[in-house]
Formats: sequence, structure tokens, C-alpha cells
Amino acid sequence: MEASARLFQRDLMGKLSKRFPTGFLGLDPFPGTFGRIRFDPAIALELFREIRDVHAFEHLAMVAGIDWVERREVLYTVWSDVHRGYLLLSAMLPAERPHIETATTVWPSANWHERETWELVDITFDHHPDLRNLLLPTGYQFHPLLRSFKLHEPEELEVKVRHV
Amino acid sequence: MSEMWINMGPQHPMTHGLWNLRVRIDGELVLEVDPEMGYLHRGIEKISEDRHYNEVITLMDRTCYVAGMAWENLFILGAEQALHVEPPERAKWIRTLSEEFQRIGSHVMWYAAFVQDIGLMAPFLYGMRDRDLVLDLFQSYTGARMTYEYNRVGGVRNDLPPGFIDRARKVCDWLLDRFQEYDDLCLGSDIFRKRCDGLGVLKAADCVRAGITGPMLRSAGVKRDVRKDRPYNAYDQVEFDVAVADGADVTARYLVRMEELRQSVRIIRQCLDWLERNPGPAMAENLPRWMGAPYAPVGKEGYLLKRNYPKGVGLSAIEEPHGEALAYVVNEGGEHPYRVKLKSPIFTNLSAAKHYLVGYRVADIPPIMGSVDVCVGEVDR
Repeated sequence: MEASARLFQRDLMGKLSKRFPTGFLGLDPFPGTFGRIRFDPAIALELFREIRDVHAFEHLAMVAGIDWVERREVLYTVWSDVHRGYLLLSAMLPAERPHIETATTVWPSANWHERETWELVDITFDHHPDLRNLLLPTGYQFHPLLRSFKLHEPEELEVKVRHV
Repeated sequence: MSEMWINMGPQHPMTHGLWNLRVRIDGELVLEVDPEMGYLHRGIEKISEDRHYNEVITLMDRTCYVAGMAWENLFILGAEQALHVEPPERAKWIRTLSEEFQRIGSHVMWYAAFVQDIGLMAPFLYGMRDRDLVLDLFQSYTGARMTYEYNRVGGVRNDLPPGFIDRARKVCDWLLDRFQEYDDLCLGSDIFRKRCDGLGVLKAADCVRAGITGPMLRSAGVKRDVRKDRPYNAYDQVEFDVAVADGADVTARYLVRMEELRQSVRIIRQCLDWLERNPGPAMAENLPRWMGAPYAPVGKEGYLLKRNYPKGVGLSAIEEPHGEALAYVVNEGGEHPYRVKLKSPIFTNLSAAKHYLVGYRVADIPPIMGSVDVCVGEVDR
């Protein structure tokens, strides 16, 4: 991530803020990548198309959901064979009924990633073709990767002194 | 003939692990497939949030049980970025060496299982025999054959033992000769060619669209390899070629993996040369004691020591034996990661199953799925 990467980053930032005057919220530096784009979930689909078709990030590597208790983050990691680097796309969703447009129409590989994020972090992907349980049993009531899902009570965590 | 759904799994010789491939068939023709996962879901990402960074490594070995070292490397790279720790140069080279040995272990295991699937028994025995030599080497410096727990934040647990480099060189020489034998057994066999040529074809554009990575993608002629494109550890200092083929079928995947085995030996030899010439610490100095090897994170007050560490977040990507694996580690200042997200290459390779299975016959499923190299542990996590 040297000078050429920084140049690409600045170029990308300029183009995106021009294309999405309201929905594009900024591009933060992120070591080892081209940076992290923050965007409004309302522009999700147009942004995905723009990123894939105009900026040549044709491979969706990962979709991650993170529970920040008062908000919920959904994070897309995309890769470009042309620019040889990763780019992160991050949207903050409200904790109350978090939902975002599916990326499957742009990157078909999002299918299972979104199913997993839906069942584990409780983020709904609108218009997903096949939103059902993947890793958990069908009809499972809980979302284990939420902070409110505790593995055990705090007092059980107390561990006695161990001598080394 | 009437259509019907059949279950291939969760107990089926083709699956190599616990998962279920639901197949809709018309006679022998495959019309639709639906992989059912989750039989091996252990909640590794959730348990990681409740453990010290060095304790998460135990889980990473079990994420993919045939490529434990690769997953350790993956997590530790993300964790070090999140914790602002830089390992010494020697640790990076040992990790590179370990990862390549792991690639050999994994690919030889794949070879053994895959070739047995299509009806050749003898190569299975040869493969398992040769993999044991690699496991012996692992045992000599990590103490374990499959679940190593060898990496630590800031380096590796211990340096290589005396005499290791010579032993490793002998194993490399032995393996290179064996790889030639593997080729003779398979590529010269009519059974192999008839069952593999032109099967499970997935062209480059479809692979990219479906998110497929690793040997499957390279068998379609796409030259994408994280080790070359985004070097980590010591991969920017070793010479190797990215193995590609252009058949995009089962045979092409075999050829790519066989070439990767040879390239791995090439990398290992360079690592051994470097490690022989450059002694030094294998663990970063001046680490806080809770983070240092070989101690467990134990203080006088027990596990729950409250400290304030600088926050951070790390994204690491490696070329695991099966493809591109990612880890996203969020450090919110506690002793435990706030969130660990792992992306497994097989997860996406398997999600595209309909693209390379539909239209073939039921009897073609075992060789095609064998060529995908499924490890359920890292899909379900």
C-alpha cells in the first residue's frame, strides 16, 4: 500500500463523493487495504454496482456482521484483480430491525454469506432469494453472535489462581 | 422417469465430513443440488469472543483439522494487526515454512482421499504414508501432529529443534520423488482419465462470479493467489510460481494441486536456507507478559485482569490450501477479541455447487466434489 495505492484511494474518494453526494459518508484508512468506505444503507445497491462495474472489484470475499449493541454494522470485503487489493464497505444499521438490500444481484457469492449473517447477527437482507438457516437448525430462535447472547453467567467466569 | 430428491450425506463416502448434499435427480441426471451445512457448527467465532487471543489459537487448529497451521497463521496475522504487535523476522519465516508444510499435508491428504473416491486404492495408502512424514516434522517442533497450538501473538512458541533442518531437507527430497509417482499412478491410469476429464467444468468468468478461490479458480486459468498478490509473512522474499491450468475440470484441479505441491517444496527449501543462516529470536521481545510465549495468560488475580490496551482492528488474508481465507479481528481494548469473523474458502466454493454439479450424472458427484476438497470444519466453524 504505497503511493499508487494512496493515489487510487484519493481518486476513489473523489469519484464516489461526486456520484453519491449524500449516501457516501467517507473513506477511512485501513492498513493493508484501500480503505474502508462508510455508506448509508439506502444507497447500498447502487454503490455495490458502482464498485463492481466502474471500479472493477469483481470478487466479494466476505460479508461480516458486527453487533455494537446500540447499532449493528455490516461489512463487505471486496477484491479487485485489476488493482490487486481489498476494499471494505461498511454500513451502520439501527439495532431495531436492522436490514439492508441484498448484494446477491451484484455478487452472487453473497448468497451464503448473507444467510449466515442473517441467522447469526440478525441482519435482514431485503430481496434475498433464499434467506433460510444455513449453519443453525431450521427455526432456531436465537442469534448467537449478538452480544446479548451469553455463553455463561459472569460469575462462572471467575477462575481461581493458577500457579505457573 | 419421475424426479426425486435424494440425500448424499450426512453419512456418505463422498462427503469427507459431516454435511448433506441434497440432490434432485431424474434417473441418473442431476437437476438441482442443495448443500445442507451446519452439522459441525461449533460456534468458533462466538467462543473466540470469550477467550484470550492466545487461547483462540486452540480453536483455530480445529477450524480446519487438516490445515490447522494455516488457520493459526490466519488468525494470528489478524490479531497482531489488531493488537499492534510486530513479530520478529525469524517467526515470519517459520510461519511461512509451517504453512507450506501444511499445504503439503493438506494436498497429499486430499490426493489420498480423492483418488480413493474414484476407485484407486493403492494411491490412498501411498498418500497417507507420505503425509505422515510431514506430520512427523510438525511433531518434532510443535509437539503435536494435527492440533499444533504453535503460533502466539508476537511470534511462535518455540524455535526449531536441533537437526530439524536436515530432517526437513530429507523429507523434501523424498516427497519430490513421490509426487512424480503420484502423477504416474493417476495420469497414466485409464480409470482416472475416464472419470475425471471434462467433468465439473466451471469456466473462469463463472468462477469469479461465484466467488470461487484457490486451486479451483486457478484450474480455470485465473492467476490469483494471495501469497503473490498481497504477500504476508515472508512470501514477498521467496520465489515461487503460481500454479495454473486451463482445463477448468477435475483433471485440471488435480494438476494445479500437484504443481502447488512442487512449488511448496521449492518455498520450503528457501525457508530452510534462510532459517539456517539467520538465527535469532522467534518471539517478539518486550511483550506484556500476558501476551508472551510460552505463558498462559494468568496473573495473580486469575484470568479476569482488567487492563486497557490500545484498540485496533485487523484484516488478514492468506492463501490457505483450499483458497483465500480471511479473518477480521476487532480489538476493543479487552483481553478478548470483541469480534472474530472468519471466511473460509470452501464456504463459497461449496455455495456454488449448483454451477458445477447440475447436468452431470449421479456417479459424477464423488469425483467432482472430491476435486473441490471439502473440509467441513472450516465451512461450519
